[in-house]
Amino acid sequence: MRGSSRTDHRRGRLLWIGLAAPGAIWLLVLFVLPFYAMLSVAGGGINAFFQTSVPIWNPLHWSTANLSMVWSNIVGSGAFIGPAMLRTLIYTGIAALLSLAIAYPVAYFVSRYAGRRKALYLVLLIAPFWVSYMMRMLAWIDLLQQGGFFNKALSSVGLPGNTDWLGGKSVTVILGLVYGYIPYLILVLYAGLDRIDGSLLDAARDLGLSRWRTFWRVTVPLSKPTIIAGTFITVLPMIGDYYTNQLMSAAPGTTMIGNVIEGQLEAAGQTGQGAVLSLMLLIVLLIPMIYYVISTARASREYA
Amino acid sequence: MHPREGWSEGGIRRRPEPDEGDAISRRQLLGAGAGVALGALLAGCGSSGGTGGTGGAGGGAGGATSSSGAASMSGGIPLARPNTPVKWPIYSSNKPIASGLKPEQNATLQIYNWVAYINEAVIKNFCKKYNCKYQLTTFNTMSEAMAKLGTGQLKFDVFIPTIDVLGPLVESKLIRPLNQSYIPNIANAWPDYRNPFYDQGWQYTTPYSIYTTGMAWRKDKVNLAPSWNMPWEGAKYKGKVALLDDYREGISLALLRDGKLDLNTTDPAQIQAAGSALAQLSSVNIRIDNNDYTDVPTGKTWIHHAWSGDMAASYQYLPKGTPIDVLGYWTPPDKKAPVNNDLMVNLTGGANPVLAHLFINYMLDVHNAIENYTYVGYMQPLTAVTAPRLIKEKLLPPQLSSTVVLPSYFREGLLELELPESANLAWEDTWNKFSKGL
Repeated sequence: MRGSSRTDHRRGRLLWIGLAAPGAIWLLVLFVLPFYAMLSVAGGGINAFFQTSVPIWNPLHWSTANLSMVWSNIVGSGAFIGPAMLRTLIYTGIAALLSLAIAYPVAYFVSRYAGRRKALYLVLLIAPFWVSYMMRMLAWIDLLQQGGFFNKALSSVGLPGNTDWLGGKSVTVILGLVYGYIPYLILVLYAGLDRIDGSLLDAARDLGLSRWRTFWRVTVPLSKPTIIAGTFITVLPMIGDYYTNQLMSAAPGTTMIGNVIEGQLEAAGQTGQGAVLSLMLLIVLLIPMIYYVISTARASREYA
Repeated sequence: MHPREGWSEGGIRRRPEPDEGDAISRRQLLGAGAGVALGALLAGCGSSGGTGGTGGAGGGAGGATSSSGAASMSGGIPLARPNTPVKWPIYSSNKPIASGLKPEQNATLQIYNWVAYINEAVIKNFCKKYNCKYQLTTFNTMSEAMAKLGTGQLKFDVFIPTIDVLGPLVESKLIRPLNQSYIPNIANAWPDYRNPFYDQGWQYTTPYSIYTTGMAWRKDKVNLAPSWNMPWEGAKYKGKVALLDDYREGISLALLRDGKLDLNTTDPAQIQAAGSALAQLSSVNIRIDNNDYTDVPTGKTWIHHAWSGDMAASYQYLPKGTPIDVLGYWTPPDKKAPVNNDLMVNLTGGANPVLAHLFINYMLDVHNAIENYTYVGYMQPLTAVTAPRLIKEKLLPPQLSSTVVLPSYFREGLLELELPESANLAWEDTWNKFSKGL
């Protein structure tokens, strides 16, 4: 009896390893290898003949030339990357808060009050994905023009309707980021909120909590991991985004880190610096990621 | 240094008909690669080893000279300049093909070109005539193209490079000297192209597109006399002023505004002064993009640093009801404007050298060149392609005749050529600080 259960167990384990293999290979080929290639470019040199980057594959021979070049552009006297980094933090911070403020009520409504129309609302939420991100952003150019619908709508309700939204304004970039990534956040929040056991809320009400206090004391704490996950899913692409910015503003005064990296990748002989900057960004983004993993692990232990 | 820099595939496949109102199609381009740069692929060719280059550019070997404008040796490859022309060597291991060969049969002609920079209808006609197939492969930046060609793995026949990469192409034997007997249509090109300073005796190249840089503006919105100073005078037009996203063009604009005519300067003081001049533009909330051809007609931008070939196509993006008269393109009448042209070359890696020669010849045919123009917007320097002709054939509205480049521009205009490495770094650095740092 015990023997056969052990072989079952072993067979089960082999099965799971087999099932995990494609994913693991996928990760290895499409994440680990490119990541290593990026390191090799960052630590590599330049082909002086063609001004193209030459990756160095042996870590022992990596050079720090690109790193020190980037570093001097971040903190040195003529630094221009530092301000772009700061701007990126501020823009994505505001955009994330704004997204949350808009997305949470929407997701809450759909999960708790949509009733039989839940499917319809979900379809409507997913609908933006049917249109390519680029097209959705391009549509804003026409809407935001000086004689465009947005300005007309503003002036029809008595607000100043001649704002040049596309003239290099920070607010346009931030709103563009919010618009572009908010569907992801709503979907994640919806999935999390929908999973909250309704009987917990009933219990809270039975024990005398008001609707408001039930929300604050039960729903919000239970949805905390979802909020964190959703925020990451939206903030990570926002931080690296360059196209929204290029389209909505294109002014030097609104440059974000993604634009700097893009510029370096297109400049002859600066690919290595672009790789360094991308890696720096990755390391910075890893910190909240690790926090997320720890906090969800802790949360699942608490609720287990 | 190229209008197609950073264009992505999936953009325009053809130009919209004038009444189609299809402005979005060009906008789809991920255009506007920031920072940009293909300029100095050549700069500082430390590894080239030996002085392969002969000819007029015999200057001080190795390293940049600081005297601006003078052709100098950079690690062995001469920097071609109008006043110090270069005649490239013909290597014994890389000779032209023999005369009188038959075109390859059952062949696939491989063309390597910028995105949206050739009319495929013209290639199809060529293939009908010579009974071949073709494959068009595109690149977004000259650095990308050179990196891929440098691997030696690609089998392309025809390539459309910029002038500044000619040195590395010749010295690495990536391109084959032309057998001129296959290319009688060179007679259609401006006479200068039979002996251009960058390739004396046109041993390796024929010209492709030529274009000027200037200022585009909305005559109905902007009340300024056109000049290089327009962006700096644009305080009234805050948010409506844009520069081209290109380090060579951007810094050249500031140099020209201050009357500096050496657009290949290596003088740090001049480059720095140009950077400071650009920095003043933050007061007009300057934007940086390459959408001159859509943003001026649609009114998103009123003053745009622009390329002639883009503006030649711009009227097709005017919203319904807006007359063509509102569009203006200015380039200085004294011809002191940036002028650049591209090249057609035969790559050694390709399997069809004869077809490649015939194709290069085919593109120099006046009829084919004009058919190509209807799609690309950039003209080829052929004597018969003139403003009156393009206007008469209704391919260009008379209001935009200033976009047509005259033969004298090639002689008297200001070419943006390859810089020595240290100077190129200074140019790139100055531009980065302006375009990304304000």
